[in-house]
Amino acid sequence: MNKYAGISLFDDLLAEPLNRLVEQAMDEGRVPVGYTCSYVPETLLSAGKLFPVRLRAPGIAGTELADTYMSNVICSYTKSLLEFALGGAYDRLGGVVFTANCDHMRRLMDNLEYLRKPAFSHTLDVPHKRGGPALEWFTEELKMLADKMSGHFGVSASGADLAAAIRSRNAFADAIRAIGDLRKQEPPLITGGEFHRVMIASLVSPKDLLLPLVEDFHRKAVERGGVGPYRARIMVAGGELDDLSFIDVIESQGGLVVADRFCTGSLPALDPVSETGDPLRAIAQHTLGKVLCPRMMEEFDEREEAIRKTAHEYSADGVIVQAIKFCDTWGVEGSTLTSALRSAGVPVLRLEREYRHGSEGQLRTRVQAFIESMGK
Amino acid sequence: MNNIRPSAADYLKHAKYFIHILFSFTMLAARRGPISLLRDMRRYPWLFILLRAPLLMGRLAAGRTGLYREANELLISFIVKQMIDVLVRTLKRDDTFILHQEMVPPEISTAMGLSVWPAELLSILLPLLDSHAAEAYIDRSENEGIPPDICSHVKMTLGIVLSGEMPPASVIVSSNLPCDGNMTGYEITRRKNNAKIFRLDIPFNFYNNRAVEYFAGELKRMIAWLEENTPGRMDWERLRQICEERNRMAEKEIELWEMISARPAPMAAEPVYLGHLWAFNADPGNPAATRFFHRIADMTRRNLESGVRAVPNERFRAVLWNPPLLHFSELFRWAEEAYGITLVIDSMTYNSQPLIDTSTPDTMLRDLGKIIMQGPMARHTRGPAENYIDDIFRIYHRFNLDMVWVAGHIGCKNTMALNQMLREACREKGVPLLIIEYDLSDQRICSHEGIIRQIDHFMQNVMKVNRNGEDPPDPRRGREGKDFTTIHYAYRSEE
Repeated sequence: MNKYAGISLFDDLLAEPLNRLVEQAMDEGRVPVGYTCSYVPETLLSAGKLFPVRLRAPGIAGTELADTYMSNVICSYTKSLLEFALGGAYDRLGGVVFTANCDHMRRLMDNLEYLRKPAFSHTLDVPHKRGGPALEWFTEELKMLADKMSGHFGVSASGADLAAAIRSRNAFADAIRAIGDLRKQEPPLITGGEFHRVMIASLVSPKDLLLPLVEDFHRKAVERGGVGPYRARIMVAGGELDDLSFIDVIESQGGLVVADRFCTGSLPALDPVSETGDPLRAIAQHTLGKVLCPRMMEEFDEREEAIRKTAHEYSADGVIVQAIKFCDTWGVEGSTLTSALRSAGVPVLRLEREYRHGSEGQLRTRVQAFIESMGK
Repeated sequence: MNNIRPSAADYLKHAKYFIHILFSFTMLAARRGPISLLRDMRRYPWLFILLRAPLLMGRLAAGRTGLYREANELLISFIVKQMIDVLVRTLKRDDTFILHQEMVPPEISTAMGLSVWPAELLSILLPLLDSHAAEAYIDRSENEGIPPDICSHVKMTLGIVLSGEMPPASVIVSSNLPCDGNMTGYEITRRKNNAKIFRLDIPFNFYNNRAVEYFAGELKRMIAWLEENTPGRMDWERLRQICEERNRMAEKEIELWEMISARPAPMAAEPVYLGHLWAFNADPGNPAATRFFHRIADMTRRNLESGVRAVPNERFRAVLWNPPLLHFSELFRWAEEAYGITLVIDSMTYNSQPLIDTSTPDTMLRDLGKIIMQGPMARHTRGPAENYIDDIFRIYHRFNLDMVWVAGHIGCKNTMALNQMLREACREKGVPLLIIEYDLSDQRICSHEGIIRQIDHFMQNVMKVNRNGEDPPDPRRGREGKDFTTIHYAYRSEE
């Protein structure tokens, strides 16, 4: 497949937990706020001088210290974050916002607060279901976070300021989505590896500083005209995935990743936030409305249907359901989801992986076999 | 070594409770009818395991004497009798039958005239009766694609469902407690049963009025949903009676806690923790459960007043944190004999919010909500770490303890990720801590021998004692030189 030479700019942004654009913004007096879960609304962390940075642990070599505190049966994403935090990698953040989304994330928060005591930290209690009362609850949760941020950082995270942040967020999401839509074409104009570099970079960089790079990438991707030969169109679903080498390995076997429905992916994350009505309520509605994670108790059928529809929309030949080992929600849901998708005639490969890149040979073999099983 | 031998009176009482158990089994046959019962036994092979209850009673009674021994016998006969009542209701499977997740206490559904089957009941009871009972169900779950690292208690329940051995229900009530694995597993149960389901959402931080009101609202929505989807109708007067009965039982339990705070303890181990586990989770508000607690409290008082210790050679007092070691039901009896360790209380028993204000429907729902949110296990697996760690020290001091045992169930990731914080807190406070690494339901992960060895190491290296002066200790030998670690195999072969 043809690769866009300028993609190395995005690789550079993904090589460090706090990249050069973050440093540039901090030099300008802005404050990065870390977060750990896609149920933390980025828009709220974009108030005033604040900007959101999704916590990652790029290049992590081991989690020896975190293993001591969190045990060896905990998801390696949360342990990698703890390991990096203990090494001081996030010390320059203005604060961290967690969610009580899953057992592992909650215990990361407990251990991080115990061992490192961030200057500002907050845990959002995201309901496990949708509907009126849950929406009211979560809107109040966001209000409490907004008030706490106002008090701590001296920023306004309400009213017109927040409405402006929503508009700005939507405009940026449109720019990324336009790139993502290039994957729908036959042949696609970008690879999955390229798109997800852009996508993950958008989660870890100040969006205004990243936007020129995104627009430049879009322009050049269109000019390039296709990614060259591939064997099958693949959709990737599942949990947290910010290691691009995982997608690169899939694509190295001819499986072009054309669609995503995973935690750090673009669908449904880039759907617009409503620009009318109470901004906090709109953000709450957008966050709870995402059909994404099995931590939401009542949405299995919707999640399964969303995967099928997305696969159809992007003409995916098969779906890879991936999850980090020890993830309870995706671990249990994976078995049900795999059966349900297969019953609906969708080819599925279920993969368990670690947060850090590894077992490449096994991954290649499984992907090769999957593509061959689809007759591609 | 405990040199006290059971008296003739002890044996007579044992025979009495044995007859009680046989009578309960006979009642099951009579109430179901022999043909139906045979069909049930074919469809639900675990019914055969329930027949081993007298053996469990024998294991718990052995090496104990007096009222402590009798309390254990009473406990098993009580559980069998109540289980038979639940079974008869369940096996009928009329349209009032619903499936409840274990963390959804049944008071409300019972008040609605519904017949509740706690889905996880078998996953608690069967490993207690047969230490290998979980294995086939766990394997079934894993063969269906449930990852091996998921809690074995969850996997066993799902294995029963997937094997078609869970009584089928068209209506289910579950929640996001106690852990992600259990919560997510209910989708499998729902699909297998093609059932309608209501899921209760319990907030993360629940020690505030906002959470109490939100959750009371959830309970109201659950009632409305059950009225819509079952023949059940809310009877607030019935709920008041159930709550008041539950309060009476809780008051007796509080009395019991006061008495076992004394050193040496007049009552311990199974009558305290297993009695609570059954009475408060499977059948709260049942007068029979209250009577059981009355009798246990009465036996305890008699021991206290006459200066009789439950464990004659009590040297150390322990709390057990996390659910009890299900497949090793004789562990505490062994610990009593080997080291004079008295298990005074456990984390699943101690409740900081035991009583319900029955003045209005709203007060009842709010307090039932608090019991669910702030009850044992729930308050340790939701909320921040201090819910878990501070509780340990609160109980340590309240019950005048010498050591903390944590049942470090490998599948409970929630608590595994707190163990180092707990170690450091215990070290700072000078509290001896043993974390037993094992699996709750599956002894293939850590055998009984492995568990005993961990305890031996702790007692020798931290508490600086050998087994009652025996030196060197032999991790395989129990009372009277029996090879303790193979006792359960002997029971199996006798059967």
